[in-house]
Amino acid sequence: MNILETKGLYHDFSGLAVLFDVNLQVQEGERHAVIGPNGAGKTTLFNVITGTYRPSRGQVFFKGKEVTGARPNALTRLGMGRSFQITSTFNRLTAFQNIRLAVLSKRGIRFQMFRKVDGMGDITRETDEVLKRINLDRERDMPAGVLSYGKHRSLEISLALATDPDLVMLDEPTAGMSRDETHYAVELIRRLTEGKTVVIIEHDMDVVFSIADRITVLHYGQILATGPPGEIRQNQAVKDAYLGELEV
Amino acid sequence: MRNKLHKWILWGVVIIFVAIFPHVFGIYYTNFLVAFAIFSLYAVTLNLLLGYMGVLSFGHAMFFGTGAYATALALRHIQGFPLLPAVLVGGLAGGLLALILCPLLVRVSGTAFAMLTLAFGQLIFVVALKYREVTGGEDGIGGYPIPPLNIAGVVSIDMTDKINFYYFAMTVIMVCLLMLWFYTKTPFGSLVVAVRDNAMRIDYLGFKLPQTKAVNLIVCGAFAGIAGAVHALLMKLVSTVGVLDINTSFAPIMMAYIGGVGSFFGPIIGSGVLHILEDLVIRFTERIGLVNGAIFILVVLYAPMGLVGLFSAAKAKWFPKEKVS
Repeated sequence: MNILETKGLYHDFSGLAVLFDVNLQVQEGERHAVIGPNGAGKTTLFNVITGTYRPSRGQVFFKGKEVTGARPNALTRLGMGRSFQITSTFNRLTAFQNIRLAVLSKRGIRFQMFRKVDGMGDITRETDEVLKRINLDRERDMPAGVLSYGKHRSLEISLALATDPDLVMLDEPTAGMSRDETHYAVELIRRLTEGKTVVIIEHDMDVVFSIADRITVLHYGQILATGPPGEIRQNQAVKDAYLGELEV
Repeated sequence: MRNKLHKWILWGVVIIFVAIFPHVFGIYYTNFLVAFAIFSLYAVTLNLLLGYMGVLSFGHAMFFGTGAYATALALRHIQGFPLLPAVLVGGLAGGLLALILCPLLVRVSGTAFAMLTLAFGQLIFVVALKYREVTGGEDGIGGYPIPPLNIAGVVSIDMTDKINFYYFAMTVIMVCLLMLWFYTKTPFGSLVVAVRDNAMRIDYLGFKLPQTKAVNLIVCGAFAGIAGAVHALLMKLVSTVGVLDINTSFAPIMMAYIGGVGSFFGPIIGSGVLHILEDLVIRFTERIGLVNGAIFILVVLYAPMGLVGLFSAAKAKWFPKEKVS
């Protein structure tokens, strides 16, 4: 079953076409990578799916329901999580407070103003568990803005995961990371997304081919090919457009 | 544990100070302290928008003034209107105004929010000025009765007595401040702070951004209205220049910045500093605005986190926390 599907998706920014008839199918439980050269429209595709923009034309289906143009908060409550290419955390709040917001949201605590949040033991416990799992328990009370780059990226990814979504959309989770950090982040993603459906934008081909069950190649706003890694590696059109003669 | 004990001692001292104040300092300073407390509450509601949610309201007097006018009108036109409902009517009016405006206000932030609140503030100022039949125009509304405090037929406390009124006003304001302080500690309060840091991500975490901002606006409007209501009871006169004009909008901004927008108690300290300063300066010159303005500029330039920020910076320098490793 397709957990996520787009039908004839078009998007343009005041006349400049960015997405062109995109039909993406993501099956439940798979790890689906979206790759393509800079400017191919990968992040725009994410933005249109997750509700940042309403697509100019076309439809988005999530869990069999049409969600075209739905607000991000509605999609999150349906079970979609998203992380950002440019780290987007609550920088003046501590790592703990960052994750706690996601935990509150997951529990449906949104307009509670008659209890102290520090007094909610189960929320504190669950937040601390999440911090431990992502190896941030030592940085618990540090503002997110002063964390090292790698740790900050971990926080970014876990914010998307702490609401316990069924579908996780990761926009270049390893962007700007060193080799070691990338290795660590990939392990983290693998561990945290166990049993979830993952759509991931990634530039690092080693990461893509090690993590993905299926790959979609986007080129100038169009899908060039979709298939398992082995097939994509051999695809002549993909080689010409993106992979080139790289040893992959 | 020791820290907690220090806090309780501090609060004990504050409460004893407030309790014996009128018997030590006389009637002039008793009214002075009530005025300070009213503006403290008012400035705290502004800071819940500025420091907590990250939007600057340039027309905050509209909530304060609407509360004051609602209380004055209720007391003037309704025979035997009781005291506590008179205060609540002010809060209700401030909250209602925020509710009416919030569909527009929650859609903007930054400069647009400041300009929109400025516009609405001025609009309401002009309406109050011109709609003489109801508001009395420039003369305002005066001469309304101050009802006694009736507790279920047991006692009736005369509120025209200045000292009785002092205790009543201080109790109302301290309870309101306590409620607002608690409010900032709730899950919703933590959400409001997160809106300031990153509104976009709030949406992606599954929270409804406009509704969240609207609820905070209404809470701030309602408590600013209560501050206005107590002001109306203290002054026994409500006029446009006193409660709705642009100076009334700017006062809490100055208080919040001078005290420190980063903390809950900052605006209260700012209110204290400005009130004491005014009391001192007025003995030498009438150019109080000159002194206030100079201090405001100095604070913005050299202590952007206000006096509370200076204090915690000094504390961190002289009494560094022991490193836990």
